[in-house]
Amino acid sequence: MIASDVVSRVMDDSAARSVGNLLIRPAQAGDLAAIELLAGSATPRLTNLPAHRDRLEERIARSARALAHNVDFPGDELYTFVLEDRDLGEIVGTASIRAQAGAQDAYYTYRQENLIHASQQLNLRHEVQTLSLSHEMSEVSLLCALSLDSRYRGTSAATLLRRARLMFIAQYPERFAQTLGVAFPGYLDEEGRSPFWDSVGRHFFEQGYHEINLLAGVRSKSFIAEVMPQFPLYLPLLTPQARAAIGREHPDHEQALQEMLAEGFVRSRHVDIFDAGPVVRGERQRLRTLTHCGWHPVRIRPAASLPDAEPAMVANQQLADFRCTVARYALTPTGQLLLSEEQAALLGVEEGRAVLVAPMALPNVEDALDEGEL
Amino acid sequence: MRLRPIGHHDIDELQALAQETGVGFTSLPNSREFLSAKIDNAVAAFEGRVPEQERLYFFVLEDEQSGELAGCCAIEAEVGRETPFYHYRVGKLAHSSAQLDLHRTIDTLFLSSDHTGDAEVASLFLRPAYRRDRNGTLLSKARWLFMAQFRECFPAKVLAEMRGVFSPDGVSPFWESLGSHFFPMEFKQADQLTGLGQKSFIGELMPKYPIYTPFLPQAARDCIGQVYEHTRPALEMLKKEGLRWEGYIDIFDGGPTVEAYIDDVRAMRHSSCVTVEVSRERLAQSDRPGWMAATTGMSDFRCSWIGRGPSEERVITLTTAEAERMNVVSGDSLRVLET
Repeated sequence: MIASDVVSRVMDDSAARSVGNLLIRPAQAGDLAAIELLAGSATPRLTNLPAHRDRLEERIARSARALAHNVDFPGDELYTFVLEDRDLGEIVGTASIRAQAGAQDAYYTYRQENLIHASQQLNLRHEVQTLSLSHEMSEVSLLCALSLDSRYRGTSAATLLRRARLMFIAQYPERFAQTLGVAFPGYLDEEGRSPFWDSVGRHFFEQGYHEINLLAGVRSKSFIAEVMPQFPLYLPLLTPQARAAIGREHPDHEQALQEMLAEGFVRSRHVDIFDAGPVVRGERQRLRTLTHCGWHPVRIRPAASLPDAEPAMVANQQLADFRCTVARYALTPTGQLLLSEEQAALLGVEEGRAVLVAPMALPNVEDALDEGEL
Repeated sequence: MRLRPIGHHDIDELQALAQETGVGFTSLPNSREFLSAKIDNAVAAFEGRVPEQERLYFFVLEDEQSGELAGCCAIEAEVGRETPFYHYRVGKLAHSSAQLDLHRTIDTLFLSSDHTGDAEVASLFLRPAYRRDRNGTLLSKARWLFMAQFRECFPAKVLAEMRGVFSPDGVSPFWESLGSHFFPMEFKQADQLTGLGQKSFIGELMPKYPIYTPFLPQAARDCIGQVYEHTRPALEMLKKEGLRWEGYIDIFDGGPTVEAYIDDVRAMRHSSCVTVEVSRERLAQSDRPGWMAATTGMSDFRCSWIGRGPSEERVITLTTAEAERMNVVSGDSLRVLET
């Protein structure tokens, strides 16, 4: 093994240099081993991306099936994408979209609620917070199962992997719900323990947090949810550590959450039932990528003669052969997007074909927060 | 010592008693106004001026020589009729999954008013100086004789709420872990309000959903269905009469509520009516009182220990002192119980 700091320095350089050599495309059968590695190295481990070969194989096949069929409204489809670094010829990330979070079974979350207990007799008003099991998020399309090679963390590769899915949704709106959701892994302490699980889930299971998470991934989360307490939980009865973990993301996902908030997602009242990680939601018409993307015909020019411009995500208009990469948002005076020969090849487009382009830059997170639900 | 209905003249002595009872004894708050109203209601109840289901029969145990009150006790004919009557029911919820090879039962507390309409024996207090000569037994069991005598005035079931666990400095671990989160006040205040009969705040502020007991700290869980040390003898006495804990607890301190069908209570089944014969002679007197006798009138109800049991002919011979204490003459009826 190469020391990781050396690797990351090398990769930072190469990521900056080869920004056009990152490619998002649907997962294929040949990606299985790479995806299994990514699933195994995700921090923390993801419930919805178990490092389980059979499940992953199924997942890839399911994605291919969804892409091979006409779909008029969101249902049971699961789309799985991979991020390829063409310079290395390696799969370095994966991410999925679940067309409907609770298509086969309910998507369980805890909904934070405030109950007002008021007494006329004593002339006082007392607010009590509760967590109620909810199926409300079952209808949303869920961006999920994202795992990125740690060497690419914080680079444009991370952004591309997260947001290329929005470029796909922009092109096939009928396949997805009006509302999109993202569930972020919840807070774990230095020892990898979930304070929320320790205060809540632990009482109801024989197995530990990680084991239950694995079971939930390999089988289904909802059948585990059915063993969870069905009545609302009163927050004052949870440990202070558990209360502090509600709606708090895993430290490794802080930046990702900020980015999604800047994208236009807002914090919701919903949190994960196991670790209380935040679930954010966004209306499609309020998401930056979807509102700021535009179609441009391609104009091919030699790489050396491409003008400098802000970075953008560029996607072709294929379904099963969807591709999305990062390029400069350089337009001709007539609105054509300037791409190099290599970039056009990467996307599988010829001169004159239209591509979907969206700027990578996002507005300030603080501005986005003003529109939050909570 | 004899037990009798409380009277208007008892107000000063009753307030003195109230001052001695302390925390956890909710039905006798130290408020003259309240106690005075309580006496009025009790007098009206014994005189039959109140509908049966609204009656609160309040008794005092008096030292007929000194005229001092030694203690008190009460029967509420039907609880929960005018103000809500709440308990937690300790229930079990199965959390089971064949796929997970999991089967667990979780203890839960459900808010309940299941006891609405039941009779309650309550407010038993005996001054420390009088905790001798089976005075406590007299106070407790006299109520069964009263209920046996006036059975038609009471419903099918009876209950008794037992004081829960408190630390030496008067803190209830159960309250600290549960009630305090929902009632922005001290236990004492909540306790007092309940004692004053102002209970609507409980329903307004109480958690409406069941409480999963694993969320409570061990110290609080240990209080569920457990009694305060000094309440243990009273609990044992009720248990001997056939009252059982069926899983209901006090919502504030977690103390158990014991209950029974009135007709099943041992004292109800074993008491019987006999005829009085007053004797001027010296009568044999057992050292330890074993027979309890009660008169058959309501407003002039008396109950006391007597020195001996009835004859096979169902005649009870009383000394003149005993007859005076009971306010009976030869030929009157008494209800007796060996205990």
